[in-house]
Amino acid sequence: MLDRLAISMRASHVLAILLLAAALCLAALGAALDDSFYLRLGTEALIFAGLALSVDLLLGYSGALSLGQALYFGIGAYVSALTLMTVPSFWLAMAAAGLATLVAATIGGLIANRVRGVYFALITFGMAQVVAKVVYNTRELGASDGMIGIPVVQIQFGPFAISAGNPVGFFLIVLAIIMGLYGLSAYLLETPFGRVLTALKANERRVPFLGYSVWRARMAVYVFAGLVAGLSGALYPVLRGFVSPELMFFATSGNAVISVILGGVGTLIGAIYGAVLLVILKSIIGSWTEHHLIVIGLLFMLCVMFLPKGLVGFSRPWIERRIVRVPSQEVTASAVSPAIAKSRSAS
Amino acid sequence: MIPPVLDVRGLGISFGGLKAVDDVSFSVERHRITTIIGPNGAGKSTLFNLISGALTPRNGKVMIDGVEMTRGSAEQKKAAGLSRSFQITNLFFELTVAENLRLAAQLLEPPTHAFLPIRRSRRAMEKTERMLERFRLAHRRDELAGNLSHGDQRRLEIAVCLASEPKLLLLDEPTQGMSHADTQDTAALVRGLTEDVTVLLIEHDIGLVMNLSDHVVVMHQGRKLAEGPPKVVRSDPVVQAAYFGHH
Repeated sequence: MLDRLAISMRASHVLAILLLAAALCLAALGAALDDSFYLRLGTEALIFAGLALSVDLLLGYSGALSLGQALYFGIGAYVSALTLMTVPSFWLAMAAAGLATLVAATIGGLIANRVRGVYFALITFGMAQVVAKVVYNTRELGASDGMIGIPVVQIQFGPFAISAGNPVGFFLIVLAIIMGLYGLSAYLLETPFGRVLTALKANERRVPFLGYSVWRARMAVYVFAGLVAGLSGALYPVLRGFVSPELMFFATSGNAVISVILGGVGTLIGAIYGAVLLVILKSIIGSWTEHHLIVIGLLFMLCVMFLPKGLVGFSRPWIERRIVRVPSQEVTASAVSPAIAKSRSAS
Repeated sequence: MIPPVLDVRGLGISFGGLKAVDDVSFSVERHRITTIIGPNGAGKSTLFNLISGALTPRNGKVMIDGVEMTRGSAEQKKAAGLSRSFQITNLFFELTVAENLRLAAQLLEPPTHAFLPIRRSRRAMEKTERMLERFRLAHRRDELAGNLSHGDQRRLEIAVCLASEPKLLLLDEPTQGMSHADTQDTAALVRGLTEDVTVLLIEHDIGLVMNLSDHVVVMHQGRKLAEGPPKVVRSDPVVQAAYFGHH
């Protein structure tokens, strides 16, 4: 059965495939022209897309605005950096970062999920600022300078290995991981658990009377979103060779929220488009003027005023209509009719 | 002996100095329709909130199917078989009619299905289809609940409550704001529910109450004034003085 939510998700998948195709073109072009600047910029965009995805999971589905999602991104980045400096293994760094953010997000969730709405936004903001300041003042973590000199690792795939210093290779790996996180998120949202999240956003007070625990659902999505942010953050030191406390600052969290709003809240793929767009814009405008934040601020205001549903929210209905026109007739008939027939014969 | 589906003993709560519900006791027999009546401010909806877990009682006990659940949360009481509607329509207005029902019916599935694709929850989907047909909402299945007419929304709300196959259904003024025809329709519908479920109603339409109820509990200023079969309650002089006298 294809209902409204499932059709919207399919439309997002169409846009995801477009993005994937564009990314592969960039990779091929970059490889052919022996480019590293645009590939590394693309890689960075994808990494921040993971953070934006994590914001959209919370904001777009459970309706909770986090202003401190960079906390988990930063924890992922630092744990990954520390691991890489001890044992130069990419997968070990990812696993350590994942585990650390799971723990951190559980603790953070226990604190933040005691409140709702504006208070939730403020608490998430506060938690990120506190941890960022602690890191900023901890000499063992490089304090305000951050940590540099993270080795370039070989990423093992069984018998094969790709160097993280290879722009095309690492771009493709990051692309695979971020699209994997997108796929996993999309999958989760199409489960009964995911639908409870949309119910939370629609009318949280009704949810307990349907028999679902609001707290458990909010915790689960918070921890999962933290994990998505942490795994994305873990990729950052592999690309840049350093980490700094700025990764946890409000600017990082705020950019992720802006990306989600630019791309379209509650569309999932919109977060990725938004983040890619923002990184590209920053780089292009930043090469003309150092006041690029003014331009981005203006663009953001224009977007909120004229495209309140974001780029994907604006274009997706068009794709949805095409999806409905083609396969839904047969899908609905084949998936629903036997179910009704069975229930009728049973009763 | 089988315990009553719902047994309320000495239930009470106050807000500030006001005793909104004060020492109320009654029980609800299986497959019957029990109706709570009383003037505005009598504490009927507060009583519903205490029973369903929206509020925690200060005094007294709530037993569901013989199990004490006084301090249970709304979802624990739901798990014990209690389902409720609200006086002011309370649906997921931004979700479709079918999705509203599917969310409720999902409770019929084992918890392991929570992380499997939705189409694996066959029972919930079948239940949704049956409820759409039974409540004549099938033609509006993909409409957003917020776009339905008031009558359709009230019907959907009953359907949502019923979709999880509860033992006990609490309906808070299901005919509120309905046209006469819709009211009659809903009455017939509620009457038909008692085969599967026990119904506890709050209702204002006295004609409807007398026709529909097996048992009536009268509340006045937070306390229980009287209870009994509709005819007996109606002719009770205390009830007439306190309640019908005002009309």
